[in-house]
Amino acid sequence: MADVILKVRSLSKSYDGKPAVDDISFDVYKNEIFGILGPNGAGKTTTLEMIETMRSIDKGKIVIAGLDVATQPQEVKRIIGVQPQSPAFQDKQKLFEIIEMFAAAYGERTNVQTFLDEVQLGEKANSYAEQLSGGQRQRLSIAAALVHSPKVFFLDEPTTGLDPQARRNLWDLVRMVRDRGVTVILTTHYLDEAELLCNRVAIMDDGKIIALDTPRNLIKQLLSRGFKKTQRVEQANLDDVFIDLTGKALRD
Amino acid sequence: MAVDYILIAAAVIVFSIRVYNKRFKNKTKQVKAKGPSQNKPPLTGWKQKLYTVGVFTKLSTKRFFRDRLALFFGILFPLIFLFVFGSLTASNNKVSFSIAIINQSKTSYANELVKSIESNKTYKINHSINSISVAESTMDKNQLDGAIVIPSSFGQTNKNGQPTGTLQVVYTENEQSAGQTLTSLLQSNLEPFNAHFVPVVIPFKAIGHQLSQKSLTNFDYTFSGLLGFTIAGIGIFGPVNVFPELKKQGILRRLHTTPIRVWQYFMATMFSQAITGSVAVLVQFIVAVAVFNLKIDGNYFEILLFVILSIFMILGIGLAIGGWAKNERQAAPLSNIIVFPMLFLSGTFFPRYLMPEWLQKVTNYLPLTPVIDGLRMLTTEGKSLVQIGPQVGLVALWLVVVYVIAFRVFKWE
Repeated sequence: MADVILKVRSLSKSYDGKPAVDDISFDVYKNEIFGILGPNGAGKTTTLEMIETMRSIDKGKIVIAGLDVATQPQEVKRIIGVQPQSPAFQDKQKLFEIIEMFAAAYGERTNVQTFLDEVQLGEKANSYAEQLSGGQRQRLSIAAALVHSPKVFFLDEPTTGLDPQARRNLWDLVRMVRDRGVTVILTTHYLDEAELLCNRVAIMDDGKIIALDTPRNLIKQLLSRGFKKTQRVEQANLDDVFIDLTGKALRD
Repeated sequence: MAVDYILIAAAVIVFSIRVYNKRFKNKTKQVKAKGPSQNKPPLTGWKQKLYTVGVFTKLSTKRFFRDRLALFFGILFPLIFLFVFGSLTASNNKVSFSIAIINQSKTSYANELVKSIESNKTYKINHSINSISVAESTMDKNQLDGAIVIPSSFGQTNKNGQPTGTLQVVYTENEQSAGQTLTSLLQSNLEPFNAHFVPVVIPFKAIGHQLSQKSLTNFDYTFSGLLGFTIAGIGIFGPVNVFPELKKQGILRRLHTTPIRVWQYFMATMFSQAITGSVAVLVQFIVAVAVFNLKIDGNYFEILLFVILSIFMILGIGLAIGGWAKNERQAAPLSNIIVFPMLFLSGTFFPRYLMPEWLQKVTNYLPLTPVIDGLRMLTTEGKSLVQIGPQVGLVALWLVVVYVIAFRVFKWE
């Protein structure tokens, strides 16, 4: 298959003797959307933070685009973009200044307006960050994470707390980022999100990866084991009803 | 009058921010118009690292001037102190006694004496008091230094046909020195009367002789102290309040996912504080000169250099506390423990020469002390940067110490 951009080998991390991530290994391919699924406390965020250089590695090795995360964190930071769980910005800071600031953090001068236009915030360039809605803040945050044209883009539970319209918009943005040649790695506990968005998913529980494949294959494997849903599958669900009634247009 | 100056100062600040913002908005529109074709060559090496510092400095300075709360605490708040302490010390330069005269005599001598006392500016006479009991209760409240009682027998002639009389000066136990001074002052008030009846030749006299040089006024001490307060307010309380909040919201953590280094972030904060702090100090200077007749007897450039050096150093204390603290609960007590004793012991609100000598020796080495002393020497004592070498050296030493600590304890989250 395609080139491997992220290699994780026997990665472990424990807090006070309790293993949070327990000897996991996986590869992420270039230009895919890779999802890490799991219940709360499964070790998704810890795994992500170790890859992002934000947390020290107890055991194992992480290599992104040929760079060792443990020994070359500064170089790794230059090729990754990170979207935090709940993006926040300093008050009294205009949108275009925030983009300018993030670009400057990478030592780059960038064209602010194009980045804001891409996430439909071009008209708000002169507004303050505190005037934005939750969805707008998410979009601004994505724009800020892309200013240095990263190779890998991380999102930690990006759609938690967003309304259905904003969620769909964020999915579109994630796909747009992928279409620009960026590899996307995200964590989520929304299964529909993973199924719709991700090329492949890893399911974590208790610090271990218990399954890793495309969503379709995982479902196939389950069905081949003789699984049957007790309820008849509907042709639509409540989500579809909601979107049909309220429209897809973004509400800010 | 003081209120007028506050209003004028506030108006100037508001107006300049307006103008600044307007100019700034126009600038961004121009950038927009140029469109995506405008591409600057990428930066490399040191230029790139300093570009990061430059942009962060610019944005952090802008944030300060947009933030009304920061403006209030950074600029207006010290200004209020300047007005309060300035008016207190400005009127405190002359010795005077507040007294009451209780005249029980109806003789012409008594009337003349009262007139002579009233014409002397050393006395501030409270005319509403006209009985001993009222005078006593006012003295109990420490609102009166003493009362002069002219008994009814004062000025009546004796057997030899000469007028006599004894004045009484009434004062409380803890106003002994004031009472004694009052008594001898009255003695001299009586001299012309006595000379009228008993011609005498006085062998020993004392005459005042005014020197041509000016000594430091109380206001000079107050003002340098308040400059220290301004610098400490912006430099310490700024980061101590802001950093824990940035950590709580994950803003610093987010920055940490970028390649920006702690030194770049610190440097940007230092530069931006140097700008905002200098503006705050400048406003203080303007008001001090305009309202309190401060005479600046020093080199403006040297004063500015020393102000910036001081801001860098004091900010380091704020960066160390704010950078170390995980949240407000850690930051607030630590900053209070460090800042308040330092403010009081370094001569911020009252001059250090009022302290006992051993305390002066100890407080000589506090970080804020050389800042305040140095500023006073530069502005009103007419000294140069070279002459205040010990102060500059001590500030520089603290600068090193404080930043070593700040770098070691800094946490991004």
